[in-house]
Amino acid sequence: MPDHLKSPDPKRFEVSRATLWFDRFMGGAIRFGGISVIIAVFGIFYFIGKEVVPLFKDAAVEKSGSVATSTQPAVLGVDEWGEMPFFYAGGEQVVFADLATGAKVEKALPGLAGLKVSALAYDAVHGRVALGLEDGRVGSFLVSYQRTFTPDGKSQVVPSLTEEPWFTLTHGAGPVTAVNYGDSGAGRVIVAKRGAGDGSSVSILRLGMKRSLVGKGKLSLLEEVDVSTQLAAEAVIVRASPNGAMVLVGCENGEVDYFIADSNGISKRQGFKPFDGVAPRQMDFLFGGVSLIMTAADGQQEQWSLFRNDEAGERLFGQTKAFSNLGEGPVIFTASQRNRTFLTGAGRDLSLRHSTSGSTRWEGTLDIDPAIAVLDAKGEHFIVAAADGEARRYEIHDPHPDAGLRAFFGKVWYEGGSKPIFQWQSTGGTDDFEPKLSLTPLIFGSLKGTAYALLFSVPIALLAAIFSAAFLPLEIKRVVKPVMEIMSSLPSVVLGFLAGLWLAPILEMRVPSVIAMIVLIPTSALLVGYSWCRLPITIRNRFENGREWLVVLPFLMLAGWIGWQLGPLLEQWFFVYTEPASGRRIADFRLWWPQVTGTSFEQRNSMVLGFMMGFAVIPVIFTIAEDAISNVPKSLTAAASALGANRWQVVWTVMLPVASAGIFSALMIGFGRAVGETMIMVMATGNTPVTEWNVFNGMRTLSANIAVELPEAPVGSTHYRTLFLGAVVLFAMTFVMNTLAEILRHRLRERNKIV
Amino acid sequence: MMTSHPLSRPDFIQVDHFSFHYGEKQAIFDIDMNIPEHQVTALIGPSGCGKSTLLRNLNRMNDLIDGVRHEGDIRIGGISLYDPSVEVISLRKRVGMVFQKYNPFAKSIYENVIFSLRVAGRSKKSELDATVEWALKSAALWDEVKDRLHDSAFGLSGGQQQRLCIARAIANQPEILLMDEPCAALDPLATLKIEELILELKHQFTIVIVTHNMEQATRCSDRTAFLYMGKLVEFGHTMQIFENPKHAETEGYISGRFS
Repeated sequence: MPDHLKSPDPKRFEVSRATLWFDRFMGGAIRFGGISVIIAVFGIFYFIGKEVVPLFKDAAVEKSGSVATSTQPAVLGVDEWGEMPFFYAGGEQVVFADLATGAKVEKALPGLAGLKVSALAYDAVHGRVALGLEDGRVGSFLVSYQRTFTPDGKSQVVPSLTEEPWFTLTHGAGPVTAVNYGDSGAGRVIVAKRGAGDGSSVSILRLGMKRSLVGKGKLSLLEEVDVSTQLAAEAVIVRASPNGAMVLVGCENGEVDYFIADSNGISKRQGFKPFDGVAPRQMDFLFGGVSLIMTAADGQQEQWSLFRNDEAGERLFGQTKAFSNLGEGPVIFTASQRNRTFLTGAGRDLSLRHSTSGSTRWEGTLDIDPAIAVLDAKGEHFIVAAADGEARRYEIHDPHPDAGLRAFFGKVWYEGGSKPIFQWQSTGGTDDFEPKLSLTPLIFGSLKGTAYALLFSVPIALLAAIFSAAFLPLEIKRVVKPVMEIMSSLPSVVLGFLAGLWLAPILEMRVPSVIAMIVLIPTSALLVGYSWCRLPITIRNRFENGREWLVVLPFLMLAGWIGWQLGPLLEQWFFVYTEPASGRRIADFRLWWPQVTGTSFEQRNSMVLGFMMGFAVIPVIFTIAEDAISNVPKSLTAAASALGANRWQVVWTVMLPVASAGIFSALMIGFGRAVGETMIMVMATGNTPVTEWNVFNGMRTLSANIAVELPEAPVGSTHYRTLFLGAVVLFAMTFVMNTLAEILRHRLRERNKIV
Repeated sequence: MMTSHPLSRPDFIQVDHFSFHYGEKQAIFDIDMNIPEHQVTALIGPSGCGKSTLLRNLNRMNDLIDGVRHEGDIRIGGISLYDPSVEVISLRKRVGMVFQKYNPFAKSIYENVIFSLRVAGRSKKSELDATVEWALKSAALWDEVKDRLHDSAFGLSGGQQQRLCIARAIANQPEILLMDEPCAALDPLATLKIEELILELKHQFTIVIVTHNMEQATRCSDRTAFLYMGKLVEFGHTMQIFENPKHAETEGYISGRFS
């Protein structure tokens, strides 16, 4: 025995310090890594949640000042900052009250000295107070505000008044009892009612600027038309649209008559009856000037908008929405000048409503009885005044009035549309454009893109995986697998570029060829396979197992070539477009398809997308499915072979059931790749948010939508947050799908598990 | 023990100067032997001696491995396995096989037994039922499983699963039954049952069995072939091989001096 073993080292059972420390260090490092990942995931959820949750919050309203005047306000207006409301009761004085200091400034209207105002109306869009006098004259003055800075740097709102010319009504008799003023800049319209009861009359005045060489030009009367005879009954409410092109008169019998006032003159266009014949008590235009909000005496509130019922028809008013009942009491109404929000109510109960989504943004009860209310131009404040001149200012915090579950997922009746629709159109050219934020077309687009991608890639990938795992000789398999794996690492931007700029223009010209190839290639494979089986065994035995593809390949290539060449002939035979005008016949699939199906044909379409997505999805499905099939124990396949099963029977009866769970995983990972794929979708689909399954047009997917629009969305805006909501929806879709798939996969594995 | 079937052909399986290569490696060197019909022939020898390779060549299972080649010939009933007119699938229907590790499919007992009929496209219910009963009775499993034929095969014990695999192999009524160490994964009691079964089955089938167990070879085989390093060292009646071996290697192996 060697010496060192005779007296053993007593420390030989101890573990070295370095080993212990290393073990502890590695344990800690791994724990740190794991916890960091969990924190990061929750951090992402927190961030996305923070962006999305405000979309679903109601408006917040709080009181932010009050002032008392002695004026009984017939007109209440405010500057765009909500700082200095004015009160006007119809005399020579307009009272301005500074909410910050409580100071009141009176400004005089010298032109009104000695005149008796019998009718008033305020147009907040132009800041114009329309006036009707007892002597039958109509006129107006403008209230404007300017922000100036005092020498010590404080800002100050300075109001000013501008009187406008008077016009004498020639029709009718008695005092003006109702007046309204519309202004498009170039042309203006005044509608006025004289007298009351049976003797009352309604006149529409069209005004125009007479250009002169010097100065601004003079406002003059172009025509005055008495429309009393065209009314259904005595007028109750008269309204001119803010753009001066329309006049609406609400009558006592509940009919509303719609007149159009343009350079062709004044003519009645339509009479319609909201509330089944109950006279409207309130009728006002919303921002944009094509929708009316009306309220009946019993508190019913409806929205009527101008739209075309059919392609060729005129734009007429039709009911688009009904809001919840306001209840009894004098109706308060003021519309925002920034969006489709309006403040309305009866008595002390007010609510802030959004017309597009039909939702109530806020509801509350005031501590005074409001007689009149006004929203400031920015929609950040509203001011209410009681009959005794007491006024309150309320601050509104409602950054996302367009949002809501209904707006995102439901059908919405947008202004100007003939029916409720799902639409995504987040930005527009004009200020009064309304964002259309339905995610439904995008969800549809994601599903459509995924469906077409999988339709093309799943059969190819699965058949290829089976072929490679169960039929191909090892040395060929050794080449095929890495090649497929390299294919999956192709950057999707390259694939998208190829799809959009190379493949799409080729396929556009060759749709009939593609159809022919899709039919011919699989058919020829089946035919060759069948013929091969009919050959005598002595010939078949000359080919080693797994080498038969050498026989099939030339036929497949031939079938592909024939299909490609056959395309133009097919086009001449079957896809002939007839020009409707001349009757000329043109063999062009691109024209034929829209004529026959009524759907569009786009160059960047689902077919192109399917082919290119195949390059992204096939390698993923192939690799995983191939592994799953290859990993089926040899003992089972050998048993089946020994029992006289042919190769296909071994695959079908033994390999596929055992590998089914793995194949299913492969499909799910392929699905995930297809749903989340962005660059190919952006570049190859045209990005139109359509909702039809037509294979020859594109789609806009949730992921592509985020990629395209996020750089343009202002941080914190409704649009920006909606894009994040799109991300949440995308996540929810994949999460639900993956969970279902995991359950199914688990069942498959349990059923086919090998002990 | 040395009973022979009245109609048996002494040279039913002819292994004719057969050599076999896995790629570069030669596994069998010029083996020449005749296996008689309706007898149990045991192949013994140390690990890696080529006995399993020889067995798996009798139904050309080795064809499933890439890069193999052979020289010489094997004939069953006078017909070469490598004749260009031979369909491998019908060959495997003639020559059934039982593997070392029991390997039932993830199907019911019933479906396992009739697998070979299913792949042959036979689906007549009465025929399948009769086959299941006959095969399970022949494999001495019928009484144990007749009430749960449609339960999963994985519910059976190891020995039962192996007998199920034997039932599955004989369901198509092959002429030859190859058994590759059928009892290697079983306990002694299950082994005993399988051995009894082998003695029963040899009246109907020609059985070639690979085994590491000397007692098993003596208990149930009529003839024994001793292979060593890919070569056939000695082949004869089992009694003769075990009691009076002619070669020193054979004696060394059966007396346990090397394995």
